[in-house]
Amino acid sequence: MVNFTVDQIRALMDRPTNIRNMSVIAHVDHGKSTLTDSLVSKAGIIASSKAGDVRFTDTREDEKERGITIKSTAISMYFQVNKEEIDAIKQKTEGSEFLINLIDSPGHVDFSSEVTAALRVTDGALVVVDCVEGVCVQTETVLRQALTERIKPVVIINKVDRALLELQVKPEELYQQFSRTIENVNVIISTYHDAALGDVQVYPDKGTVAFGSGLHGWAFTLRQFATRYSKKFGVDKEKMMGKLWGDNYFNPVTKKWTTKGTADGGKTLDRAFNTFVMDPIFKIFDAIMNYKKDSVFGMLEKLDVKLVPEEKDLEGKALLKVVMRKFLPAGDSLLEMIVINLPSPATAQRYRVETLYEGPMDDESAIGIRDCNPQAPLVLYVSKMVPTSDKGRFYAFGRVFSGTVRAGPKIRIQGPNYVPGKKDDLFVKSVQRTVLMMGRYVEPLEDCPAGNIVGLVGIDQFLLKSGTLTTSETAHNMKVMKFSVSPVVQVAVEVKNAADLPKLVEGLKRLTKSDPCVQAWIAESGEHIVAGAGELHLEICLKDLQEDHAGVPLKISDPVVGYRETVKTESSIVALSKSQNKHNRLYLKAQPLDEELTLAIENGKVNARDDFKARARVMADEYGWDVTDARKIWCFGPDTTGPNLLVDVTKGVQYLNEIKDSCVAAFQWATKEGVCAEENMRGVRVNILDVTLHTDAIHRGGGQIIPTCRRATYAACLLATPGIQEPVYLVEIQCPENAIGGIYSVLNQRRGQVFSEEQRVGTPMFSVKAYLPVNESFGFNGALRSATAGQAFPQNVFDHWDTMNGSPLEKGSKLEELVKNIRIRKGLKPDIPPLDTYYDKL
Amino acid sequence: MTEPTTSFADSGEAVISRKIEVSPDLSASNLSADEFAHYYDIERTVDEIVKGGYKCVALQFPDGLLRDSVPIFKALRSMLGEEIHLYTLADTSYGSCCVDEVASQHVDADVVVHYGHACLSQTSQIPVIYVFGHKSIDLLNCVMELTNSVRDSLRASSAERLVLRCDVVYLHKAAEIAEQLHTSLGRPVNYREIPLKAEPLGQPLRSVAENQRLGVTDQATGDVFLYIGSESLSLTNLLVTHGSSEIHAYDPVTRQARIESHITNKLLMRRYAVLQKARDSDVFGILVGTLGVASYLPLISRIRKLLAQAQKKSYTITVGKLNPPKLANFLEIECFVLIACPENSLIDSKEFFKPIITPFELEIAISADRSWTGEYILDFGRLLEREIGPAGEVDNDEDGQRPEFSLVTGQYRKPKRFGGVASPISDEGSSIVVLRNEGTVSVVRDSAAAQFLQNRTYRGLETRVGQDMPSVLEQGRSGIARGYLDDHRPS
Repeated sequence: MVNFTVDQIRALMDRPTNIRNMSVIAHVDHGKSTLTDSLVSKAGIIASSKAGDVRFTDTREDEKERGITIKSTAISMYFQVNKEEIDAIKQKTEGSEFLINLIDSPGHVDFSSEVTAALRVTDGALVVVDCVEGVCVQTETVLRQALTERIKPVVIINKVDRALLELQVKPEELYQQFSRTIENVNVIISTYHDAALGDVQVYPDKGTVAFGSGLHGWAFTLRQFATRYSKKFGVDKEKMMGKLWGDNYFNPVTKKWTTKGTADGGKTLDRAFNTFVMDPIFKIFDAIMNYKKDSVFGMLEKLDVKLVPEEKDLEGKALLKVVMRKFLPAGDSLLEMIVINLPSPATAQRYRVETLYEGPMDDESAIGIRDCNPQAPLVLYVSKMVPTSDKGRFYAFGRVFSGTVRAGPKIRIQGPNYVPGKKDDLFVKSVQRTVLMMGRYVEPLEDCPAGNIVGLVGIDQFLLKSGTLTTSETAHNMKVMKFSVSPVVQVAVEVKNAADLPKLVEGLKRLTKSDPCVQAWIAESGEHIVAGAGELHLEICLKDLQEDHAGVPLKISDPVVGYRETVKTESSIVALSKSQNKHNRLYLKAQPLDEELTLAIENGKVNARDDFKARARVMADEYGWDVTDARKIWCFGPDTTGPNLLVDVTKGVQYLNEIKDSCVAAFQWATKEGVCAEENMRGVRVNILDVTLHTDAIHRGGGQIIPTCRRATYAACLLATPGIQEPVYLVEIQCPENAIGGIYSVLNQRRGQVFSEEQRVGTPMFSVKAYLPVNESFGFNGALRSATAGQAFPQNVFDHWDTMNGSPLEKGSKLEELVKNIRIRKGLKPDIPPLDTYYDKL
Repeated sequence: MTEPTTSFADSGEAVISRKIEVSPDLSASNLSADEFAHYYDIERTVDEIVKGGYKCVALQFPDGLLRDSVPIFKALRSMLGEEIHLYTLADTSYGSCCVDEVASQHVDADVVVHYGHACLSQTSQIPVIYVFGHKSIDLLNCVMELTNSVRDSLRASSAERLVLRCDVVYLHKAAEIAEQLHTSLGRPVNYREIPLKAEPLGQPLRSVAENQRLGVTDQATGDVFLYIGSESLSLTNLLVTHGSSEIHAYDPVTRQARIESHITNKLLMRRYAVLQKARDSDVFGILVGTLGVASYLPLISRIRKLLAQAQKKSYTITVGKLNPPKLANFLEIECFVLIACPENSLIDSKEFFKPIITPFELEIAISADRSWTGEYILDFGRLLEREIGPAGEVDNDEDGQRPEFSLVTGQYRKPKRFGGVASPISDEGSSIVVLRNEGTVSVVRDSAAAQFLQNRTYRGLETRVGQDMPSVLEQGRSGIARGYLDDHRPS
């Protein structure tokens, strides 16, 4: 039975100090959904005996079948904290009741975009780390994302039962393993240190690290044990927590605390953590698993754990589960950790506003967000769309950052391309209903004040994936989310039956809506392209498309990879192109951009929409640009935001400002369809060195300049050693030692490069890290499985663009072959046009 | 004009000295006088002119055949005598396959003799005598190659009929080829004689173009087409308009036959992609690409009406022969609709900044349902026969704004609506206040150009009123646009 009502939750929504918005993030299979069950059961939404088996937040059929989470799912819970613990909360609170909005996110790298969407609407994160596997690639990715969004982490080290039961480690080994894992987490955290967020490293003695087992439903922080022991020792609880971790030893003979591991007589002492925390747990495990039932009940009495008679009849693991769950209930300890250590919206929005809001920090919306004020103008960010039972319709899922949202009044719906003062991408509509998202159910709400997560009905037609809702006419957009994955794997889909085409188009629209990352478009060749982060992601998307969104049979091509065109050197000579009327000449040179700057543009650190002076400053300070050059960036491209720059370095050219629009248009065109294979360009800086323009405006119009500027850009690129970049995965493979040979042979066949191979201390498992071109990754999982007898599990995450060896201009080279194939696929002439197509002699 | 150059008009020297690239057609160059007369049908031409009683004749040559214009002119003159005026027209404004009616009207011609390749479009004013030229073709090889190519597919398919089409320059042999194919394949080969003289629209006589058009329409899908001629726009058109039929082509130059229809699908898909771009456009340019095809005016007004109904802005533009610089001058236009003879309608070039579509594609693009069955119409007459669908698509439910999913970008786009906000009927019922309000709204909405100007960084010369002192008049520039006398970097 649910132990709270919607009314109770609604009442708590008005107290932003008592709300905790948090997401559960981790590497795949580290036990997020299982652990979430413990929390959900605490709230009475599912029976506690079922926790760990149900995976309540996995709502889709395929999630249940595959046992992985695909979509992030939100759930709201009511939690009453122990009165004694309220003092431990270092931020403003009223009363002991709390509202916890929890979002369970997928761990598979292909679905990282779901994590990003979840992080945006939360202020804290519960990072789950497998005690045996330690910090994995996806742990790092999500943690990094959380920190850049200014989200405070707490950690739970999960699957401790495995260490005890399967690996049979000693307490001290386990302690070492724990502290290593925590250290690894802290290393990542400290690299992303952010002054506004303060120190967010996690420490067991501060209560920000929990240990437990999601499967068995138990977990603890040092706070629970400190509470038990502080009375016994008569020590302050906070002090006691400090004693229970690190180099603190208790000498049972002298009854004194010490920081040395050896007593005076040379006798080694046990670490306090081992004596006071692990020892009882080890004893329980030992007693139950070795069927020493009598001693079990004795211990339980001492620990104040009461069993009902039928539970006493249980044996082995079943008994262990019951005992541990009563001894250290996961729900209580985790929710307590969350409530005490994670920030409330009132606290978090104060420092998050700068990273969330695009506009000036002193306008009414910014102030409303900062103060989390329900009376201020509405500012709500929709981070994703959640399908409803009504086919083709969606809930807009998001968070109210300021004001209160309710059905009825007209609000402004600002899409990602909205610019204040303009009408593009702006709709004024009213919300039909507001709902509370409760996993697979929704509950109607009358309204929803600032600081809460909410679902909206009736505005899905106006937003594709995400957007800002507001009532303030001056409000700017909330910053768009940056995803750690990019849709690098593409397939072409075709309807089997021509009459189904309209359904496919509608289906593509719905698919694009339903997933934050997937993209769908039509190529020049007329093929419908669907692009996703990886094979699994695409597989799920295409299944959805075929069965759900479009509902028609489809032909699906083999996956292909999108490439990028770049240049490797500066143009060997100045590229000159004349306009058709021969009256205008453009002198251009292309050169490669720093990879760092390219990445900064892609990550939005250097943004086309930034103020050009501030941007120039950043580029000068951090990327070694000349300030004057940086101020004279005409545009980014393609799509006005991409990682290629058109820079005006001319000196005193007359009428230059007149042709800017034409050049910008031409640059967008040229960077969208590069010269070699008509793929997007990346990391190219094109300098306009000089321009000769005709003195009559009529002879230097767009008609003359646009084609000329495009040709000159192509010529400049051809002269600058054009190169092709391919996307590369970072692959992390966990395997036992005997499988390593198989891994190497599979990677070698596929141009993979191993750059790290290490054994996890204390385990027989190895972790191999390698770079693998995405193009070679199709069928990689299968090949790996067969080469290692199913012992190796890879995780592929897009890592970087790698410039391929060789030149596409070299006849007979592999790259030329590749380019040729792309061109043929696109229905172009197979050969790259020769230079003189674009280059004019003086 | 004996005067030297002025700044308004140059001497024209540049035009005369400029070299243009023409690939001359040399097929008639090594012929004897008799053969030459036969090649160009001199006798038939003279007969037709005399029979028609024409007094003033315009001879129209494509650029490639201009070199033969003098001998032809001389031959005709010697046979016709001095009373009948002969003019040679040069440089058509549009495709040379169309009859240049405007130029022939300049000389007040009664008839046009059109040489070389022709699209056989219906003319509106003037009768035409077509001279295609008698290109040689290896009959035996042609029949053999085609037979080999077709035989297998005939066995496999249930296609009832064979249809022979050929490039007009091989028409003179078409009857023979059809006959021989009939004997070698054992099936009748459909083939339609094309009259070599065409009357303008409105004459009782049925025109050539229409004849041919009917020849197209009454064919059921699944027919097998045989085409004789090199790769050309005519072949492309045949492919596009008969997407569901099998097409075998024999190229007399390479002397090989092959099946062509497999590329049709790719071609149609590329058009489909262009069509999606058109869906995303709000401002259209109607390009007048012909003045020679009879029903171009009704078609233009039909397209204007369609666009207005869909609340899109349209401009009508005539630029003569298309090239990328000319069209790139109209930056505010997002998509062009080309109204030209069927041969020149399909522009499949990557050089243009904005997409160019055919009227048929436009109709699909702005229709409510995006379905496209794969049929394709290039012919004006058939387009005009189609009914204009109801204007139901524009939803004025609230304020008629709802984003559309664009397949080109995979994003939502907000369509701009031009016109149609205040229809005259609804105005009567509404109060003055609302009217005024709507008026101001629609002023902004209607002006696509104003909206475009808003987005430009350069909006013309700045007026720095009160900042600059009045300056003394200076001597201006002189010379011609190609290089003024005081240009700092003379070319």
